[in-house]
Amino acid sequence: MKLQGKVAIVTGGAQGIGRAIALGLGREGAKVVIADVQSDKAKSVAAEVQALGTEALAVETNVANESSVKQLASETFSRFGRADILINDAGIYLKAPVVEITEENWDRTINVNLGGNFFCCRAFIPSMRKQKSGRIISVASGIAHYGAKEFAPYAASKAAIIGFVKSLAREVGHDGITVNALCPGAANTAMPRTHRSEEELMQRLRSNPLGHVLEPEDFVGPVVFLASGAARYITGQSINVNCGSYMM
Amino acid sequence: MSPVALITGGGGGIGRAVAHRMAVGGIAVVVADYDHGAAEQVSDEVKSAGGKAEALAIDVTVAREIKAVVTDVVKRYGRIDVLANIAGGSFYTKRLEEFTWSEWKEVIDINLKGTFLMCREVAPIMQKQKSGRIINTASNYGVTGSELRTPYAASKAGIITFTKTLAQELAPDGILVNTVAPGPTDTPRVMGKESPEARRQRWSDIPLGRTATAEEIAEAFYFLSTPESAWITGQTFHVNGGVVMP
Repeated sequence: MKLQGKVAIVTGGAQGIGRAIALGLGREGAKVVIADVQSDKAKSVAAEVQALGTEALAVETNVANESSVKQLASETFSRFGRADILINDAGIYLKAPVVEITEENWDRTINVNLGGNFFCCRAFIPSMRKQKSGRIISVASGIAHYGAKEFAPYAASKAAIIGFVKSLAREVGHDGITVNALCPGAANTAMPRTHRSEEELMQRLRSNPLGHVLEPEDFVGPVVFLASGAARYITGQSINVNCGSYMM
Repeated sequence: MSPVALITGGGGGIGRAVAHRMAVGGIAVVVADYDHGAAEQVSDEVKSAGGKAEALAIDVTVAREIKAVVTDVVKRYGRIDVLANIAGGSFYTKRLEEFTWSEWKEVIDINLKGTFLMCREVAPIMQKQKSGRIINTASNYGVTGSELRTPYAASKAGIITFTKTLAQELAPDGILVNTVAPGPTDTPRVMGKESPEARRQRWSDIPLGRTATAEEIAEAFYFLSTPESAWITGQTFHVNGGVVMP
């Protein structure tokens, strides 16, 4: 097991890619904190992680709210005493043309997607700095690079995450902390189902050079790699897992 | 049966570390190098550590040598699962106007043409298998450029885009093609060129605060040859301590 004894926090861990990552880290021996606004779902993922034979904790968390994130950190430290891996996956998604987006919806998208990164990193970096090691992996998106019609706030927030990751990598590198972004291609999760028919979605998901429909589990290997000692010299980078749909 | 990897430039530096890492991961490694003695030494090291290895001499700029080597490997193992194109070099540090055509060609050929010739020979085998991984080697200089290394930087930039194009061509056959772009790495070849102090100073602004070991670069090559990276193709893995963040 590659992450035996490590403590990992997965925001947005109650469903989709976050859930798959939480289970994947647990499978490698990490103790996992599942932080999500959906507390019932977070608890059931925690139970699934425990069933793998490791420890897990669900903490109801709104990543856009600093006091909620501070609560997450304090529950993490009181239960596990340390934090080694932070996965910033919590994110929201809305579809609308720019001219129709309300200020409230703009703020909400940026606050959750980008603000969540800011608050969570701030909460966990001091302890990583003390132990002179840490891994931060922020889930961005291919959309950060190629944009998407009617997803401007989402695309902007994800591109901003990449800029944030690069800057933070420069700030904390000397403390032995690496910071990287994972850029998933379009995947078979609940999110895109809010605005696409099933048939349209599957056709779209399959239209990549490898002809494969990306499932949440497909991102686990790259995340475990980035979280493990094997990636200790990689920082400030975006890892694109997208079946070749775009090539950086 | 173990998967089989053909590693060019396997006789030293990053190539040697890749041979060791892949062998530890259960891959049989064919260590190919211009310097046959060096390849044999690495192959012996791998075997005495419990891995499967053999050594071959290869000049990656000579098409008929490549054909002979690849034919030989296929005859013996029946397949090639991983091709790691690591043979390369910068050789010269001087201003563009001082480069002769033959020096320029030497650098372009070992890096870019060598990668092309190796891929051209091995891709059809992987197409028949309907699987395979090709991992090419670029450099942080392939993104940023590097004063006094025009042909090297150009060849490494060329490899990044060659990789993307080949990834598109081979995707329908389930073959993944990616690039590893190492940052400053402590290999005997570069360590021999400058003092540790000069090297520390030159790289003092690396976010992670140090240069890489060849073993750290090898981890990315290994990752890109495992099932964990099954949905990654056409990408560039910058293993560079944050010295470049493209």
